Amino acid sequence: MRRQSLKRLAQIVAVSLPALLVSTSWGYEAGAVANGGKITGTVKFAGEAPAMPKIETTKDTAVCGKTEKFDETLAVGEGNGLKNVVVSITNIEKGKAQADEGGTLDQKECIYTPRVVLSPAGSELNILNNDGILHNIHTYSEANPSINKAQPKFRKKMKQKFEKPEIVRLECDSHSWMKGWLVVTDHPYYAVTDGSGAFELGDVPAGSYTLKFWHETLGEATQDLTVEAGGDASVSVEMAQK
Amino acid sequence: MGQALLSFISAAYWKSGRQLELRRMARREIQDDKKSYSGLFLFAVGLLLLGTVWTVWDDSISRRPWKKYQAAFARISYDKLTADLQKEDERLANDPAYQEATAQLAEAEAQISGGEGAERLAKLESDLAVAEVTASDAENALRLVRSEIEVAWYEYDHAIITEQPTKEAKEHLDGLEAEAAVLNTDFQAKTAQRDQIQNEIDEINLAIAESKNKLRTLASDRERLKQRLDDTVMFASNGFMIPYFPSIEQVVLQEFDRSNFDTSLQRVDRCISCHVGIDRSGFEDQPNPYKTHPYRKILLGNHVGCTPCHDGQGVATNSVAQAHGNVKFWEHPLLESDKLQANCIKCHANAQDVQFAENIAQGEKLFMQVGCTGCHLVEGYGEARKIAPYLRRVAAKADPSWLVQWVTNPHEFRPQTRMPQFLFNEDQGKAIAAYLLKVSKEEGNEWLASRPQPDGIDPSNPEQVEKGKALVDSVGCRGCHIVEQGQTATLIGSEKTYAPILARIAEKTNPRWLYYWIKNPREYSPHTAMPSLRLTDDEAKSIVSYLMTLGEKPAQFTARPDLEDADLINQGEGLVRKYGCHGCHEIPGMEKEGRIGVELSAFGSKMLEELFFGNRTDVPHSWDGWTDYKIKEPRGYATERIEQIMPWFNLPDEDIKLIRVFLSSRTEGEFGESYQAHNKWTHNLVEGQRMVQYYNCTGCHIIENKGGDIRALYQESPTLAPPILNGQGEKVQPAWFYEFLKGPIPIRPWLEIRMPTFHFDDTDARTAVDYFIAQAQLENPYSYVNPAELSPDMLHAGEVLMSNDYFACFSCHQQGDQKPEGPPEGWAPDLELAKDRLNPEWVVKWIEEPQKMMPGTRMPSFYPGGPDDILDANEPLQMEAMRDYIWTLGQPQMAKLAQPEASPESASGGVETPVESLQPAPTEAPLEAQSEETAAVESGKAKPSA
Repeated sequence: MRRQSLKRLAQIVAVSLPALLVSTSWGYEAGAVANGGKITGTVKFAGEAPAMPKIETTKDTAVCGKTEKFDETLAVGEGNGLKNVVVSITNIEKGKAQADEGGTLDQKECIYTPRVVLSPAGSELNILNNDGILHNIHTYSEANPSINKAQPKFRKKMKQKFEKPEIVRLECDSHSWMKGWLVVTDHPYYAVTDGSGAFELGDVPAGSYTLKFWHETLGEATQDLTVEAGGDASVSVEMAQK
Repeated sequence: MGQALLSFISAAYWKSGRQLELRRMARREIQDDKKSYSGLFLFAVGLLLLGTVWTVWDDSISRRPWKKYQAAFARISYDKLTADLQKEDERLANDPAYQEATAQLAEAEAQISGGEGAERLAKLESDLAVAEVTASDAENALRLVRSEIEVAWYEYDHAIITEQPTKEAKEHLDGLEAEAAVLNTDFQAKTAQRDQIQNEIDEINLAIAESKNKLRTLASDRERLKQRLDDTVMFASNGFMIPYFPSIEQVVLQEFDRSNFDTSLQRVDRCISCHVGIDRSGFEDQPNPYKTHPYRKILLGNHVGCTPCHDGQGVATNSVAQAHGNVKFWEHPLLESDKLQANCIKCHANAQDVQFAENIAQGEKLFMQVGCTGCHLVEGYGEARKIAPYLRRVAAKADPSWLVQWVTNPHEFRPQTRMPQFLFNEDQGKAIAAYLLKVSKEEGNEWLASRPQPDGIDPSNPEQVEKGKALVDSVGCRGCHIVEQGQTATLIGSEKTYAPILARIAEKTNPRWLYYWIKNPREYSPHTAMPSLRLTDDEAKSIVSYLMTLGEKPAQFTARPDLEDADLINQGEGLVRKYGCHGCHEIPGMEKEGRIGVELSAFGSKMLEELFFGNRTDVPHSWDGWTDYKIKEPRGYATERIEQIMPWFNLPDEDIKLIRVFLSSRTEGEFGESYQAHNKWTHNLVEGQRMVQYYNCTGCHIIENKGGDIRALYQESPTLAPPILNGQGEKVQPAWFYEFLKGPIPIRPWLEIRMPTFHFDDTDARTAVDYFIAQAQLENPYSYVNPAELSPDMLHAGEVLMSNDYFACFSCHQQGDQKPEGPPEGWAPDLELAKDRLNPEWVVKWIEEPQKMMPGTRMPSFYPGGPDDILDANEPLQMEAMRDYIWTLGQPQMAKLAQPEASPESASGGVETPVESLQPAPTEAPLEAQSEETAAVESGKAKPSA
């Protein structure tokens, strides 16, 4: 009898294992990357950089107004470097595995930090509230169900699972100026540009790729490039007001 | 055919008889017995045979076309089931569970099919045979002795009665009893032995039985398919497939129709004799008549018969044309495509809520809203309101020149208006305008007398115009009106507008009338659907300034002395009466006039012969064709002798079709009461929907998942749009809602758009309240929280939960005079209103899942995830506690109950929070020490994965 049940277990595993693998990969095949290349680059704002408007905190000012804050909708830094651009490879089919751990979004002094957060599909986004006041996270999404969850003072950390890849707008109904973006990624080759517009994608298998650049108000741009095994590819893109 | 045959036979008989006579005369010498009748008999027999064959053929084949459909369906069904069976076999073959059970069975069978196992079983079986014989022998021996005992008892008793010595008999009896006891023991032992062997055999067979059982369960689908296959066809012994006995299948609907003598009639539908697959799944791709019904679950699952919806001649089985009713004099031929929905309304009194009946719902709406009911009486629609403007004071409103132009050709001024064109010439237009101006002069002047020209209206002041435009865009005018070309608002059908397009409003009226009109429309027109937006004087002046820039403004009404001619006025009165203007408008002096059009209650039953086509030959000669053309060209059937006066509505073909579908549903005859789909809510739903339609509530609100046209302006920020009213019946208290409808107050401080004041009368307000209660199907819509029964513990817990230390409800919600921080756009409704406004049960549900009840609401979900330290983390209790606390808001004496002093003994599971925290916690209060969890995240949050 025991032999039979072992046999049955083996059968179940044999049948369900491939199915399991298929269902977690979304057409992207994860594996070890040997001698991968690196893509580095910068995104710049074309034209004269506008100054970021100062945020008027009209509510919970003791916490939200502790330090001066600026609206990062269009954040142009030194040398016209454009911040908060989502860079991704659109046509990669094979490469390193996505992290199991979801991204982390803090609501720090009533500002989403970072403004654009990456989180792998199927993982749980960590949402922090150390402000000691009520926040709520209201998502405007299409592929994933929209949520609007309160995060009161006593709930310092919340987890929320996002299953499907897409870019989701985040808002806090308690603090009208709080705006952010969540990028639910279907593979690990995603990056967000820093204050100087720079980004880096590592462990990229050799091949030809198309890079996509997405900015919340400037829209999209794409660029093709080739990565050599173990080599460095660099790219420079400009995005302009439409 | 039969007749021809008969005459042929009689002719042949006559002919043969005549020949016989002639022969007899010619050859008298021939003896009778030498004559041969065989030719004649052969012929007659041949004829008889042919006749019989034809009779059988006609009766069983030509008059039963459904047989061939049944046979064909049996073939299709057989092929499909065979394929399914094969697929199922394959599936089973690949099913690990099935494989395992098969293997187990084989293993168990192998155990006993050879070797030791088989030997043992064989031995047991032979032992069993022996044991069975021995046991039965022992039983027989026992039985024999027992019968002897009966005899012995008799003898003993007999001896007693006859007073003879009993000793011998007694001894004999005792001896037999002793013998029986011994035999019984023997019998028991042998039976036990037999059972023992049987058990052993059963045990060996148990594994087999179990596997077989398992296989049977796994293959139950296969068995079902097999059974269906067996039911579909049978096989002759030589392997030929024969479809199962064909038979007429029918559905009988008892007491469905009424006869002309008002007795009930049954209706019989035999459609399923040909449409064999209609109620079987899996034949969706087949052509008719084998096809599965496309909406089988609902339209067959919840409905009866075929002809109640489809029409046709349900009993006929002789030919397809007969069955479909496409024969002369059958009044209800099969309905096709868009007309198919006409019958829904025969059982569903509420046409607006019927699935699959979009056409009829829209057709009904159009019929009422375009104003057909003004001239035509239709049963069930006789009470419809007059849809057109009030003309009792029109002299105060309209520029006389404009009025002439409008009456003559309204479509020239506003192509999308609902007002039809009567094809008047200019003289007729002038006459009607002259009459209307005359009869409205007195009341118009009276109205104007107490309403002087307002100061401060200035269309040339860009600032004021800008302000007016901003108000028009934000306060809610655009829920009904298109103000400037290019905008959208509620449409009736596909082109007509619910409310006038205001793009040329300045040409029509003057600022004075407009100012008083928008301030309170019902002061001018007591039944108008136009509400008041509670505009302040300044707001109204700005709006009028803006509207007066739309179109070319006449400084003053142009004087038209030519319209004061008495003859002209007389002529106008005649025209108004003749063309029935009073059907849609309220006109002084016409109060007693009736509808001028023909009644259309049974128009759908009109025979083609009853429809007058005039001299037209280019119109399709059908009911549909006649009706379409009549609505498209209302005077098209007029001839020199016959005048027609129906006006021209300028409707697109799509709308004409919908009205035609609605009219086709107006037929004679009702279906039996037990087939009607209405229930106790239907009346209130219908009345409510008509009211909603009249006032265009759905221009702003989504009600019953329909409408909300104005939301197009709020796509970016849907939270600024008017509230969605799905579920309103469960949400609000009827008494509050009634009062609110009569005199709305702002509830949502963040909305710029205003709920207008419609000045509803009692009937309207009640209709609206009842409508929402009917939607929610609330048996008892009233609910009450008794303040005396609220527990201090719960109130205290509720207060703590709502405080800034927990859910911080008042950081957004207003509480009477206490306003939240920040600008009003960020505020939420005043919770002091809740106790009067909301249903206490609804409030708990709302706290539990606001997103589900109103998708996209700004109210976030707090649950699951309530605090652990309140009410023992019992979440439902926490929600109730907040609701209880909300019910005390605005009542200081009630609020005191929530103070812990008032609750001397906190019950177990009570609140452990210190009293200090009940005060709104200052936000600068030091944050609590970070928990391990958050500390860990802090250190690891340097940068999200890149």
